[in-house]
Amino acid sequence: MKMIWAVIRPESAQRVITALDSAGIGGMTRLHVTGHGREMGITLGSVHYTEIPKEMLMIVVPDNEVAKTVMIIRTEAKTGAKNSPEEGTIGDGKIFVTYVEDSFAIRTAGKTLGMSNA
Amino acid sequence: MKQIIAIIRDERVEETKTALETIGVGGVTFLYVTGRGQQKGTVSARELGGTLNRNFRMQLTGTECATTPDSSGGEIPRDVFSPEMEFTFGFLPKRMLIIIAYDDDVEPIVQAIVTANQTGRHGDGRIFICPMISAIRVRTGEQGDKALS
Repeated sequence: MKMIWAVIRPESAQRVITALDSAGIGGMTRLHVTGHGREMGITLGSVHYTEIPKEMLMIVVPDNEVAKTVMIIRTEAKTGAKNSPEEGTIGDGKIFVTYVEDSFAIRTAGKTLGMSNA
Repeated sequence: MKQIIAIIRDERVEETKTALETIGVGGVTFLYVTGRGQQKGTVSARELGGTLNRNFRMQLTGTECATTPDSSGGEIPRDVFSPEMEFTFGFLPKRMLIIIAYDDDVEPIVQAIVTANQTGRHGDGRIFICPMISAIRVRTGEQGDKALS
C-alpha cells in the first residue's frame, strides 16, 4: 500500500479528481495549501509572491495501482495541450509517494488492503 | 517511530481529543480537509437531519415537494424524504489528525480513535500508519525518540 501526496494547481484539481474517479479511484482527501518550488515563488510587477495557493490530494492505493494513479495525475495536472509530449509549465506541481504500513477503516475497525475491499 | 494519519468526522473531534488525552497522547496536529471515500461523499437524510431545509432538498432531488393544504388555504410542503434516502455531495468536510508516536503506542492510539469515531455508517474515516524516520524538537534540538518524550 502506498500513500500518494500530489501538489497540483487549484484550477486542475477538478480535472484530476474526475479522471481518478472514472478510473475507479474514489477515495481521496483534499487540502488547501500554499507553497513554492525551486523558483522561490513568482514576481509580478514589483511584488514577489512566495506563498502560491496549491491544492494537495492525498490518496492511498494498493501497490499495483500506484503507477496508474500517478500517470492519471501527471496527464491531467500538466498544463498545455493534453497528451502532447511537450513539458508543462513551471508550477504544475509534484507527486510524492510514501509507504503505508497499515490501514484501518474506522467503520468496521477492520484492516483494509487498499480501497477496493473496504 | 510511526506517523498515524487519521481522517475523521468533523463532529467527532472533541470525543477524539478526550479519548487521546485519556491514554496520554500529547502531541496531535489537526487539519481541516475535505474528503470522500468510495461512496463519493454520500450522506443519508437521517444523518443530515435538521440541517437539510426543504428548498435545498428540492434542489438536490429535482422533484417538487408534495404539499398539503393548511387551514388558511395556503399549502405546506409535506416531507417526502425517507431517512434512508441518500444524497451525494462529493467532497465533505473532514478533520485530519497527525500523530507521531513510538511503535508500541500505535495500537492503543488506533483503538482510541476507532472507539471515539465508530458510528457504523459510511464516512467514519480511515487510519493510516506510515513509517517515520526521525523527529527533531525545535526548541532544544533533541533528535529521534528523545524528541517525542
